[in-house]
Amino acid sequence: MKNPFNFDIAELKKASCEIRRKVLNMNYKAGQGHTGADLSEADILASLYFHMLKYDKDAPKHADRDRFILSKGHGVGGYYCTLAQAGLIAEELLDTYLLFDSKLPGHPVRQKIPFIEVNTGALGHGLPIGVGLALAAKKMKKEYMTYVLTGDGELQEGSNWEAAMAASQYGLDNLVWIVDRNRLQLADFTENINALEPLDKKIESFGMELYVIDGNNPEEIVSTLTSLPKNGRPKAVIAQTTKGKGVSFIESQPAWHHKIPNAEELKQAMEELSC
Amino acid sequence: MLDYSKAKDLREVMVATFNAAVEEGKNLAVLVSDSTSTAKIGPFKEKYPERLINVGIAEQSLVGTAAGMALGGFIAITTNAAPFLVHRANEQVKNDVCYSNTNVKMMGLNAGVCYGPLASTHHAIDDVSIMRGFGNVQIFAPSDGIEAAGIIRYALEHEGPVYVRMDAAKFPQMHEDSHPFEPGKIDILKSGSDITIFAMGSTAHEAMAAGLELAEAGIDAEIVNVSSIRPFDVKGTTVSLVKTGKAITVEEHSVHGGIGSLISETIADQGLGCRLKRLGFEEGKFAVSGPRDEMRAFIGIDVKGIVQAAKDMVKQ
Repeated sequence: MKNPFNFDIAELKKASCEIRRKVLNMNYKAGQGHTGADLSEADILASLYFHMLKYDKDAPKHADRDRFILSKGHGVGGYYCTLAQAGLIAEELLDTYLLFDSKLPGHPVRQKIPFIEVNTGALGHGLPIGVGLALAAKKMKKEYMTYVLTGDGELQEGSNWEAAMAASQYGLDNLVWIVDRNRLQLADFTENINALEPLDKKIESFGMELYVIDGNNPEEIVSTLTSLPKNGRPKAVIAQTTKGKGVSFIESQPAWHHKIPNAEELKQAMEELSC
Repeated sequence: MLDYSKAKDLREVMVATFNAAVEEGKNLAVLVSDSTSTAKIGPFKEKYPERLINVGIAEQSLVGTAAGMALGGFIAITTNAAPFLVHRANEQVKNDVCYSNTNVKMMGLNAGVCYGPLASTHHAIDDVSIMRGFGNVQIFAPSDGIEAAGIIRYALEHEGPVYVRMDAAKFPQMHEDSHPFEPGKIDILKSGSDITIFAMGSTAHEAMAAGLELAEAGIDAEIVNVSSIRPFDVKGTTVSLVKTGKAITVEEHSVHGGIGSLISETIADQGLGCRLKRLGFEEGKFAVSGPRDEMRAFIGIDVKGIVQAAKDMVKQ
């Protein structure tokens, strides 16, 4: 099994730009959404879906597919737009975002979209589930990888650290935990609320093999994820990102955690995002 | 009537059922949160060590990992004390198991006040109310070893979340060896026409003993074991309620959300003119602790309390 796109870096950059345009249009139309989070993760999601993840577009539940869990479920807007960009959901579905009984509710629901592995949105759930998936793969002698994307504010939830301990204990080198380190959470900067730093030391001390990269640079994302050694140690990647990446007036602004652009802001954002 | 020679610890039955299921080719993984002795999991560990996962004292991780293993193709079974499952890992139970509809079987061990003297941190007298509030999950409470085995066998066949309210004590066998467990059916232990006594889990033993005592006093009580809480037998329950017009519910559980509520809802939904007394933990009694039999007597779910409640209702 392989990635159905295998995009090169230029193509990945174009894909993440298209995802960002979709996010802004979709959130503008819905009148709601987590715009900042959707934008910060776009390069990570593009790199995963258009290069890293091995899956079959026509068989979403193929037993050998790589698993991806969006633990930061509020980043679902970026996720849906990635799935649409990859043709895994119909583009028109984006117009139904948040509507009554839509296939695209405000957090991922696996019963709605076959490519979604598990329902997330309550924070601190993805990593333990990822541990279970990776452990199941080991036990069943499956080759698939499990990728979990958490936020950074989310790491204030203790359940992540329960799972990190367990991942090391079980030697899950088929588990990759990516942290979207945009340094912002709902109320303020993470460091002003309940500081995460030194995050690298914390993660390493739980036994994970750690990589710190520019999470808005597909080249770094892909080169890191493609060279992870199978050495009995679970992997963690601190992807340093900019919340709201790609639109000057949204970047690193706490207010844009779930703010929606008005017509004029949308126009300006589209001008900045020429793909 | 009660066969004490075959008294069995439900957990030993549970573990034997797991072993048999693996032997039959079922792909089980059993997860504990350091609760190997709580689960009496030894015989499984001995035979299938690679299928036993101990996540340590980390119940959120226990349930999340179980959900992940279920997504990875296992029938994932959590076995730990009920309070640390339904309370500590409540959000994982809700999201990762129930609403994600993953194939996880949750064994709520030592539920109710099995840990009587250990006080409220170790009691689970609201587990059924909590589980009944969640979607997708089926809920059962076995009354003896025969039923425990039947319920667990069914749970392993059923695709989707299941919660089993397990007891810690040894119970005499109330059912024939060949008794088939039927989900969604009430289990009438004794037919009667004057009053229906509904009991959940091991309190069925008290209810049965009370029924025999009431018979000597000239009261013909119908004794019903409610082991299948979801799916629930509305039809069978209605037939009994219409017949007797009087009901008592017995549960080692809060009177809110357990079978007391379930029978109340049935009476209301079916428009039955039926009297009802709910026995269980009421306000003001939630935080008591002590030996289990004394706690049962305190809230009136022992034989004496049930007999008295039935006599009072029939007299009225």
